[in-house]
Amino acid sequence: MTRDEIKYMILDIIQDIDDEAEFDGLDEDKPLRDQLDLDSMDFLDIVMELRKRHKLQVPEEDYPQLATLMSCVNYLEPKLKDA
Amino acid sequence: MADWQLIIIGGGLSGLAAGIRAARFGLKPLIVEQHSLPGGLNSYYLRQGHLLETGLHAMTNFAPPGLKHAPLNRLFRQLQLSRKEFTTHEQLESEVIFPGISLRFSNDLNLLIEEIAAHFPLAADRFRSLVREVDAYDPFAERPWQSARAFLRSRLAEPLLEDMLLLPLMVYGNAEEDDMDIGQFAIMFRAVFLEGFFRPAGTIKNLLDMLLAQYKAFGGEIRFRAPVAHILTDGGTVRGISLQSGEELFADAVLSTAGIPGTAEMSGWPLEAGRYTGKMSFMESISLVPELHLPPERSGKTIIFYSLKQRLAYHRPSGPIDPSWGVICFPDHFQGLAQSGPAQVRVTNAANYDLWRQADEAEYRRLKTDCGQQSAAAVRQLLGDYSRDAVYQDSFTPLTIERFTGKCAGAVYGSPVKIKSGKTPWPNLFIAGTDQGYLGIVGAMLSGVTIVNQHLLK
Repeated sequence: MTRDEIKYMILDIIQDIDDEAEFDGLDEDKPLRDQLDLDSMDFLDIVMELRKRHKLQVPEEDYPQLATLMSCVNYLEPKLKDA
Repeated sequence: MADWQLIIIGGGLSGLAAGIRAARFGLKPLIVEQHSLPGGLNSYYLRQGHLLETGLHAMTNFAPPGLKHAPLNRLFRQLQLSRKEFTTHEQLESEVIFPGISLRFSNDLNLLIEEIAAHFPLAADRFRSLVREVDAYDPFAERPWQSARAFLRSRLAEPLLEDMLLLPLMVYGNAEEDDMDIGQFAIMFRAVFLEGFFRPAGTIKNLLDMLLAQYKAFGGEIRFRAPVAHILTDGGTVRGISLQSGEELFADAVLSTAGIPGTAEMSGWPLEAGRYTGKMSFMESISLVPELHLPPERSGKTIIFYSLKQRLAYHRPSGPIDPSWGVICFPDHFQGLAQSGPAQVRVTNAANYDLWRQADEAEYRRLKTDCGQQSAAAVRQLLGDYSRDAVYQDSFTPLTIERFTGKCAGAVYGSPVKIKSGKTPWPNLFIAGTDQGYLGIVGAMLSGVTIVNQHLLK
């Protein structure tokens, strides 16, 4: 997956988790949780969707790496390079 | 190799919600339900062409779509259900009536604040700061038991107001007698006074159908008329369940929503007898009336909480029922509902399970008639002769509740001692639902969601 594909995949997952999510004006370098008003239960769902869709296991200690859209892309790029 | 990754005992609201979470993320779940319909305590039955609900008076925790952190909306996201497409009807207004005084409240907290200012002027500011304090309280942190009454006494210093506020909170969710834990109080205070009452459009059947459809869409399976005999244990772990039919089903994990005493009985979990059996059970009478004739000051109410005595007697009564306090619910009195067919009135009073249990068949029938009349007589003191033209009347007793919901001793709110972690002595047996400590319909579903998240998905 390219970096752009990963980005859209993440946004797609968030849309799936929260059908009211608004992406207008989303800052890629700022925490997703604050901007989209997500809570820890929603955040777990991003991890669960990654596992369901891409068989990707994100260990709990790596959760902080999923904080912003850009950090998600950076973290997932090597793991999804052959996907 | 187990047949299932997760077996869920009970197709009530916590079991269905747990099932949706598990199925959504690829665990293969099976729900086993003893009855032919889902819903547990909040189910329905058909009589004389009417669909009558059991349990539900109103849902608590009202929140409009868009308030993302509200429990109701978080729940919908967790179940991947659209909150926008879920039509709700908010309450009109409700009332707490004690001798010579009444407090009205609605989903707008200001009404209650005004009522308190009018009747308890000294407590008005104290109540406002109490609201802020409860709003900031974290009820889910593990803490030792603390008295809600002592808390209210120190904050309000108005014993009558304390009882009036506690009546709706206790009768809609307190498994303890006379007092309640401050955490449970905070959950109920928010659910009832800060968020408020509503009904789903249609009946409870619509909500249950929606949950069941979502569960099946994710690949979940459910078996009705499948009462469980035992939870099968093998040394330190649980292997599955056996049904009363003798059939054995194996699973990697079992989630029981049958309450702590029920789960203990099925699994052989050695528990201190009595400690986990709730004392609060109820009798409820439903009347269908072609036309309601209510005194003007009592019309247009959604729910009336009453006490004919000065002090609230929230405990198991010494007689079969205690008609001196209770709840009167008008399920048609919600915003945007048009009256179709006869009006419904539901009256709920505390009841003594043991006295109903001891009665033989003839005595049980006699009790049912007598208690129904006592309850109606008490309600007539407030509403006049509301049920004189009733076309249909029926009552549930503590035994009906126990039979249809599996709740030990008919204790609607389960064990007075909760197990918040959902853990049992077995690493792959968990409990969810009322005895895990969440309350109400939204709470029961959040309990199922939380236990699956914490113990089965991570």
